[in-house]
Amino acid sequence: MNFEIVELFAIAMFFISLFGLITSKGVIKGIISMITMEIAVVMFFLSIGFQTGILPPIGRDVGDNVADPLPQALMITAIIIGVAVTAVNMTMLIALSRQFKTTEWDILKKKKME
Amino acid sequence: MIYVLLVFWIISGILAIQARKLIRIIVYLAIFSTISAVCFFVFGAPDVSMAEVAVSSFSTVFLIVCFEKYFTLVTEVTKDPPHKEKLSKRARKFILPACFTAAIALLFVYFLPDGTVNTYLRDLYLYRFRLDVGGENAATSIYLGYRVYDTLFEALMLLISVVSVAHMSWRAETDETDAHFAGVTKSDTVDVYTIRILCPAMLIFGVYLILNGHISPGGGFQGGVAIASFFICRYLIYDVYDVRFGKIMIFEKMTFATLIILAVLFVFLGVYIQLPQLRIPYLLAMNMLIAMKVAFGFIIIFYRYIAFERR
Repeated sequence: MNFEIVELFAIAMFFISLFGLITSKGVIKGIISMITMEIAVVMFFLSIGFQTGILPPIGRDVGDNVADPLPQALMITAIIIGVAVTAVNMTMLIALSRQFKTTEWDILKKKKME
Repeated sequence: MIYVLLVFWIISGILAIQARKLIRIIVYLAIFSTISAVCFFVFGAPDVSMAEVAVSSFSTVFLIVCFEKYFTLVTEVTKDPPHKEKLSKRARKFILPACFTAAIALLFVYFLPDGTVNTYLRDLYLYRFRLDVGGENAATSIYLGYRVYDTLFEALMLLISVVSVAHMSWRAETDETDAHFAGVTKSDTVDVYTIRILCPAMLIFGVYLILNGHISPGGGFQGGVAIASFFICRYLIYDVYDVRFGKIMIFEKMTFATLIILAVLFVFLGVYIQLPQLRIPYLLAMNMLIAMKVAFGFIIIFYRYIAFERR
């Protein structure tokens, strides 16, 4: 158990969005929770090894107190993929609401039973 | 200072999750993304911060369009009876999920690895990236050099999502090609004039980000989203719908093929090692191709949504 306080914030946000995802009544709440969850994951990866006054890894002579460039390079791609996932989710949401005229799980289950 | 920002970050996230009205969800999500972008900047990651800002401004417009479509379609919404159920009965529904989430959170925190963070790879990359890949920005050098495989698969993911959006959405039967986007169609308002003035600056900023991606914060992803937002603003100003999907989708696939060929040629076949003078042109070309890929993808998604299920 070795973590910084900064990382703890990101972990807390991730599990709050997981809670929102589990207890969501409709599909929209689930999509919003997934967006916040994705940003929390990005925040966790970037906050590893944080020190006050840390510098970006750009330029020639930056000294020792430099941020880790590897998670940054991975997280840029993760953000773009997050938007793509949101777009696909929204497409399915609109297709669902066209077919069933609702997006709430309880009514959808009833309609599927019939 | 960072702790204050993070507390506001969590508060805005909780508000976005629990909000009922759709317009409030959009506003809280925009606040959430902006605060997280500031936090990324404090963490020493200006590239990620810039990507987050660009993406959040895109997704705000995108969510507004989506929720507008959603409103016209959904008719059945359960109105929860207020104050009929007792508070304890309502709270009882949340006990089991809360216990579950708390248990997973405790397990996660308990099994976090011990010891300090291993900085071997960071030191290696920071020491070697100018010699191996070139450029001044370590993040760009990593995602175009050491980790180019990840970038290729990210482009593939974007391509797949664009294809699936284009496959699952459909145009309305009434083919009104110049139907109006709700509320923004009047071309004599102050907003439209402001956007018209800001548009060229947006385009220039996107090109600047792409061309300076290897020596300063920025790069293909951020510049691509900026250029896509230029096209979205163009739709908002002129209210024209003259995009040819077929051509743009063919262009996007050709861009993806060129991206793969260039990466395979330079990195996997080792032209990189033999011809060091071609390193900076390679970084520029890859940034441009990624920007074109991202811009085409976002333009297709946005215009597809405008046409999608229009009434």
